[in-house]
Amino acid sequence: MKEVVVHPERCVGCMQCMAACASAHSRSKNLFLASLETPRPRARVHVGVGLYNEGFPNRCRHCDPAPCLLACLPGAISRNAEKNTVFIDPNRCINCASCAMACPFGVIRYHEDFTAPPGKTVAVKCDNCYERQLAGLIPACVEVCKSGALSFEEKADAMKRKTDEVARTVSAGVAQVDLAPGFTLLNAIKRQQIELAR
Amino acid sequence: MNDKYSSSTITEDGRLLLKKMEREGVESVWDRFQAQLPNCGYCEMGLSCRICVMGPCRIDPFGEGPQRGVCGADADIMVARNLGRMIAAGAASHSDHGRDLVEVLGKVAVNEAPGYQLRDVEKLKRVAAEFGITADGKKPNQIAAELSDAMAEEYGTRKKELTLVKRAPAKRQEIWRKLGVAPRGIDRETSEMMHRTHMGVDNDWKSLLLHGIRNSLSDGWGGSMIATEVSDILFGTPKPGVTKVNAGVLKKDQVNIIVHGHNPVVSEMLLHACQDPDLLKMAKDKGANGINLAGVCCTGNELLMRAGIPMAGNHLTTELVLATGAVDMMVVDYQCIMPSLGTVAACYHTKMVSTSDKARFPGMEHQEFHPENAAAKAKTLVKDAIANFDRRGEVFIPVESVECMGGFSVEAIVGALGGTPKPLIDAIAAGKIRGAVGIVGCNNPRIKQDYGHVTLTQRLIENDILVVDTGCASVATAKAGFKQSKALEKAGPGLKEVCGALGVPPVLHVGSCVDNVRILVLASALANALGVDISDLPIAGAAPEWYSEKAATIGVYFVASGVYTVLGPMPPITGSMNIVKLLTEGLNDAVGATFAVEADPEKAAVLIRTHIEGKRKKLGLPHMQV
Amino acid sequence: MEREANLNYVIIGNGVAGIHAAETLRQLDPNGTITMISDEVFPPYCRPMISMVLEGAVPPEKLPIRSSSFYEEFKIEPVLGNRVSAVDVDNRAVSVNGKVYPYDKLLIATGADPRRIKAEGLELKNIFFMRTETHVRQILATLPTVRKALVLGGGLVGFKASYGLLRRGIQVTMLIRSGYPLSMQVDSEAGRMVWDELKAHGLDVRIGVEATAFEGKDSVTKAHLSDGTLLPCDMVVIGKGVFPARGLVPKEKIKVDAGIVVDEHMETSAPGVFAAGDVAESIDIARKSPWVNAIWPEAVAQGRIAGMNMAGRRTAYKGSLSRNVIRIFGMDVMTAGLITPPEAEGFDILKVADSRAKTYRKMVFKGDRLVGMVMVNAIEQGGVLMSLIQSETPIRAPREALLKPCFNFKQLMQM
Repeated sequence: MKEVVVHPERCVGCMQCMAACASAHSRSKNLFLASLETPRPRARVHVGVGLYNEGFPNRCRHCDPAPCLLACLPGAISRNAEKNTVFIDPNRCINCASCAMACPFGVIRYHEDFTAPPGKTVAVKCDNCYERQLAGLIPACVEVCKSGALSFEEKADAMKRKTDEVARTVSAGVAQVDLAPGFTLLNAIKRQQIELAR
Repeated sequence: MNDKYSSSTITEDGRLLLKKMEREGVESVWDRFQAQLPNCGYCEMGLSCRICVMGPCRIDPFGEGPQRGVCGADADIMVARNLGRMIAAGAASHSDHGRDLVEVLGKVAVNEAPGYQLRDVEKLKRVAAEFGITADGKKPNQIAAELSDAMAEEYGTRKKELTLVKRAPAKRQEIWRKLGVAPRGIDRETSEMMHRTHMGVDNDWKSLLLHGIRNSLSDGWGGSMIATEVSDILFGTPKPGVTKVNAGVLKKDQVNIIVHGHNPVVSEMLLHACQDPDLLKMAKDKGANGINLAGVCCTGNELLMRAGIPMAGNHLTTELVLATGAVDMMVVDYQCIMPSLGTVAACYHTKMVSTSDKARFPGMEHQEFHPENAAAKAKTLVKDAIANFDRRGEVFIPVESVECMGGFSVEAIVGALGGTPKPLIDAIAAGKIRGAVGIVGCNNPRIKQDYGHVTLTQRLIENDILVVDTGCASVATAKAGFKQSKALEKAGPGLKEVCGALGVPPVLHVGSCVDNVRILVLASALANALGVDISDLPIAGAAPEWYSEKAATIGVYFVASGVYTVLGPMPPITGSMNIVKLLTEGLNDAVGATFAVEADPEKAAVLIRTHIEGKRKKLGLPHMQV
Repeated sequence: MEREANLNYVIIGNGVAGIHAAETLRQLDPNGTITMISDEVFPPYCRPMISMVLEGAVPPEKLPIRSSSFYEEFKIEPVLGNRVSAVDVDNRAVSVNGKVYPYDKLLIATGADPRRIKAEGLELKNIFFMRTETHVRQILATLPTVRKALVLGGGLVGFKASYGLLRRGIQVTMLIRSGYPLSMQVDSEAGRMVWDELKAHGLDVRIGVEATAFEGKDSVTKAHLSDGTLLPCDMVVIGKGVFPARGLVPKEKIKVDAGIVVDEHMETSAPGVFAAGDVAESIDIARKSPWVNAIWPEAVAQGRIAGMNMAGRRTAYKGSLSRNVIRIFGMDVMTAGLITPPEAEGFDILKVADSRAKTYRKMVFKGDRLVGMVMVNAIEQGGVLMSLIQSETPIRAPREALLKPCFNFKQLMQM
């Protein structure tokens, strides 16, 4: 089964995944129209900032066992084993924030959503674009990511690639390949700026 | 001092006012910077393109996603086009500022600008002569009329080469002509840049960059240079004088008016109005002990240079000064005026006034200034400011002001040297002064405010390198106390001796950011005196905290003029390592100078010293290993 | 090796620890006999939600966390409506109403009982505890006649009762012994913010005062306070906290401290006897000492661990950690671990308050570990901090980073 895999070293912090996610979780599924909807659709992937102002697409890991699921008081959180996805039922959610305390990744937000009863604040998080997947589409965040920070693939494939990369860099005589020297250079400058301010 | 604020600024007034703003729930530029993080990597690297609507496009720096825009532009083309447009915008800003001054000059010539006058007729004649206008028997107004026409012509496209290019050393002019980058019309090069970067025009990144050089030269040796010269003619060529800087220049018992922006056309008239006896009496009647005019940003620098008006701060201080609650009015013209200012002012009693027909801001009253009405308008504004005096709430002036010497035009520097640059050249040749560095540019919330400017300046002067600075850099070092005689203690022994003998500080304030051309003129004078090119001199430029497109253009015309220039923040070019390499290495073959990017001012100082000693060696002067 | 005959598992208590243990047992041992004994006849329900029922945020029918067919589904024999009268450790049996249930493995998950108070007139009507589904139903039934309520205690229960009643539009006076509400849950700064929020919504808080007697004909109408005040009220809620329901435990056979002492396998000093949930006393991760953390998520975790160990899958429990998240009006408060550590014991405390964003963060460090935190508002990243405390992860990021509004998981990752 294909899953969304995050490659943090490739995130350039453009936040396009956030806009795509919000749009994919809107009534209209259209970025422009979505921005006019009430409640305003919000992203379920959150590009946070690292210690050196580098971007990082923080999204639900769909843990198994899921701490949020175990912590949920009204039993609103469930796991769909077939899709390896943890869902929050907006109708059962009571907005108690127990899941906020349980999630070790900080990916759950609390706001109104068009899938919830009107006016009700509920816990909202990534659903692996369940509806898009049913329609044969890949998750919106992956579709829009052009730097390869998000991929949709078999976990085994991603792991194999990573292993190969590591193997290449540890073999004798092979220097680590800098995929984007310009990005590395930019990050070095930014890192220096931040260290100087501290 | 609280860690939180000291990572934002090195200044005490800044920290205290920032703290106050935070306590009062007023958003600052630093808050907005945080809210923007992480910055978009495509944009930071120059790999996003919104030039046409086949796109917008972006290129994956990791090589797997799209490598070309819809039009087929690769990373090199995309970065070059973006940089080209950045240079064009910077050149347009300074040069358009220059055009406004030329217009005032023209109006003064025909007596349609009451209140303005030709303050430096000598300079008028000198500059006019450069434009081939003879002075014989003509009244100054006549010369001004002719010069204004001639300068206006420079903006057009009918010339082969700009007049003031002739000020550069002959060798330099030859290099430009050979490269095909000698600027033709000021507007023409900017306009051509916009054309070249349109989809499907210039798609050779090298030729785009060459035009970037030409475009920047049209500013440095064109629009900006005209701006400075005309300002000197109209408002007087700066002479050394002493004044005060930082937020402590605001006065609790006086009506405080702050001018902000770049163009002295408005601020000069306000200066006159503030000295008007009727208005002073009106202020007194309101219980104020006078009218205190102070500046922030470069319009402040223009007044400081010529009239010794105090400076309340530089770019990142523009919001903070409002939090003193002591600013009764802030009058803005254009450039670098944060659109947030109206919102900040609304939290206090400050009345905000915009004055330029081309620059309007939310939360500001618009009172348009034209040469015809400026004098009268300025009086009205000062009246309004006086009326606002008793609406003040709590006033918090966080620090005592710091003394600062300013006013070092090229004429003033040469004057101080006894009418010829020779004593300076001798001091450099003898090694008492190792060289000179122009530190220019802005503040940028990426960098602790003033840290880059002050650290670099300290390291240079203690190594006997004379610093001349402009714009927000010059205010930074003034606040840090580098522009007073006491600062000689911070200088190396040679620099201390020479500056001490001349009665000048080791860091010379040469003006606003448009006045960077004074550095070009001074460098040319030194080069000509030695019979060498600018690129042979033991000099360098630095922009440790730059943020604006204008600064990008300045950097390019510095390098294109032969001045090795070290940038603090990285320009949006890392998407193309070809361009990074060209700008930091390849340009040396073309123009005899390159850029360097070094975020750490300590290391930048080492780079610059190494460069200067290298140039000394080539000139056969005593040199050392850095 | 041949498997022994089917094991007898007995679970006392059908709270959340009990049901998670039962479910885990059934998952790991399809054939064992599971007997569940409880004095509550209502289907297993979510206790922390009863205050939300009081508040009106959740309808009572949402309380059950398992359907009525739960026992059947998991092949559990329910023994409901009766308390266990004795636990016979030597003979491995418990008795209920004279009936004896032998066990191979026993789980005591009896939870906690509300702490009683001493005062005259406690027999009057409209004086309630707030612990069970029954309690909250009784309170709700009287609400239409109530205008003024008196809540005893400023701990979590008293606080939630006060908040729920305030939201129902009832005037509430809260009597608290310590300096500020929720003194066991939050530090004084956050306590002050909570108090201000409650005061802004009309709560009357009296500090250092207790109720000494209640008056009324049939129902309560007045309360005498220790400062001499006579306070009119038509409802009293006693929220003075809870204590572990360990009355049935033979203390000479099973080690008991504040709660029933368990080891890392949730096993008591008596072999084959386990305890989990509000009644159990385990090592507190932040305090590094035995502690009863009577909170829902620990009951879930402990129930699961106990179930695994009872079924023979040896699984260690890392220890418990106090934590809470509360939403009151426009304010969210999250706390975890040790928040007001003893002075001069090598703890470092960092605090940041932002009046503009109405946030407050406090982090307590010991060495390179985070051991406690308080957050007021902007709590979305609280779980990240909580897990740092729970997993005792050495913090490599600058400590200040944890207090910044932009803190997020990435800042813990190595570049």
